[in-house]
Amino acid sequence: MIETATQSVITGTMMGIIYALIALGLSIIFGVMNVVNFAHGDFVMLAMYLSFTVGTLFAWDAVITPVITVPLLFVFGLITYYLLIDRTLRQMYVVQLAVTVGLQILMRSAALIIWQAQPRALQYSFIQGNIEIGPYSILTSRLVGAVVSLIFIGGIAYFLNKTWSGKAMRAASDDLDVASLMGVNYHRTYALTFAIGAALTAVAGGLLMSFQQTDPQGGVRFGLLSWCVLALAGLGSLPGLIVSGIIVGIAETFAISFIDPRARLLAVYAIFILVLWLRPRGLFGRK
Amino acid sequence: MLIDVHELNSGYGKVPILHNVSFNVSEGEMVTIIGPNGAGKSTLLKTISGLVRSKSGSVAFGGQEIAGITPDQAVRKGLAFVPEGGRPFPNMTVMDNLKMGAYSNQEVLKTGILEEMFTLFPVLERRKNQYARTLSGGERQMLAIARGLVSRPRLIMMDEPSLGLAPKLVDEIYEKIRTLKVSGLTVLLVEQNTSYALEVADRGYVLENGRITMEGPANELATSDHIRRAYLGF
Ligand SMILES: Nc1ncnc2c1ncn2[C@@H]1O[C@H](COP(=O)(O)OP(=O)(O)OP(=O)(O)O)[C@@H](O)[C@H]1O
Ligand SMILES: [Mg+2]
Repeated sequence: MIETATQSVITGTMMGIIYALIALGLSIIFGVMNVVNFAHGDFVMLAMYLSFTVGTLFAWDAVITPVITVPLLFVFGLITYYLLIDRTLRQMYVVQLAVTVGLQILMRSAALIIWQAQPRALQYSFIQGNIEIGPYSILTSRLVGAVVSLIFIGGIAYFLNKTWSGKAMRAASDDLDVASLMGVNYHRTYALTFAIGAALTAVAGGLLMSFQQTDPQGGVRFGLLSWCVLALAGLGSLPGLIVSGIIVGIAETFAISFIDPRARLLAVYAIFILVLWLRPRGLFGRK
Repeated sequence: MLIDVHELNSGYGKVPILHNVSFNVSEGEMVTIIGPNGAGKSTLLKTISGLVRSKSGSVAFGGQEIAGITPDQAVRKGLAFVPEGGRPFPNMTVMDNLKMGAYSNQEVLKTGILEEMFTLFPVLERRKNQYARTLSGGERQMLAIARGLVSRPRLIMMDEPSLGLAPKLVDEIYEKIRTLKVSGLTVLLVEQNTSYALEVADRGYVLENGRITMEGPANELATSDHIRRAYLGF
């Protein structure tokens, strides 16, 4: 019992850090652009499929595939921004909702057509195996996933705080009109924000493919997970995002171990609702 | 003339606010636009800076027509705007706020402009690592002015820099504005605080109901009957 719980905490922590990376993309898009991207989970799904294709094509390990899928998703993000999102910025909220929900359906259909309905997984992996610590074991690929995620979260923190583009994003998030008075072209800044959000799902997608399979409906799960992490974290705190990701990851793993694997999203959703009731601005959010 | 505004019309949606507003500011001059609540003073500055689209009329800046350009283009032409309330970026540090002032002209940071700002506003240097949201009202206003100056603009427009400040702080802010004037900066100052504005400015315009109703040298405006009765309260 205790052992299962400890094992769940370990596994959940690893998963949670990857979820934090996914939620980071959603968070910067929402925080900077005030755009609710309902298709975010489907970007992860698409990234995982692309990872599958690249991995199969070149016989690469999944964790290497982001070398190609990150630029692909970045460009896909740019295109999506200019073709769809940019047009909705001055429109009513429902228009935005319709556009990103529509995008979600579009991406699912595309995945069904291109990769068919059956789940896909990659086999190659030089990071197979487990690290054993006493009675506990950590899947090496999960550990690598968590570490790489942390590195990318740190990289984004650096980017946001130290570079001109990152500062422009934060300024636009604080006060768009004043940011434009400083010379920020918000179309460009938003495009970059959206593209980075998409590119982060490519990193996560590659990491996930090293120990998971993907299917066209996978976006539902990642969408809910990232919304839950974001709701828990609130906006503006990266450490808060990591901790929230870990909480969600552990809740999910506990549900799998102690209730039923099919209850995993239920546990995640329960946390989401609990946060809405108890602390709508999240555990770590500002204001 | 550095900026020449001619018969400018502007408003929000279908609601017209400014009616054929014309005025100008020469290089090195400090000009104030005074007027009551809701006269359209902020709308005027927002229209010039591109935050609000003009309906008709022209804005010549340095001899170039700029009516209808976007705010990010306006600042690249050397037009800085310190909005009402200052509006520093709350979740950025004082230092990052100042650096954002140089976003349009990043090379300017190598010219010692930040040191100049810290000399003019020593309190900003003491607060440089603090988030702007933790500043007092006066500090916020000083930060906003400094941020506007960082790009080394050809013209700086300030919207009610004394708004909401205690009398002592208003004195302090106007002390700084006077220093800027002496240094030769071209300033367009919008104020409700008529006595301060007319004391520091070279010339003034009165904006009422979206129309320029009076203009003249600041000292003449200050002694005119209409201004004394309606704005100075005696
Ligand atoms: N965003 C907006 N949308 C619609 N109407 C607006 C908007 N902003 C201002 N107005 C209206 O435009 C008119 C002029 O407002 P403006 O803010 O330019 O006045 P002001 O002279 O700056 O006043 P104050 O001294 O109070 O700042 C007012 O009647 C105001 O209600
Ligand atoms: Mg105003």
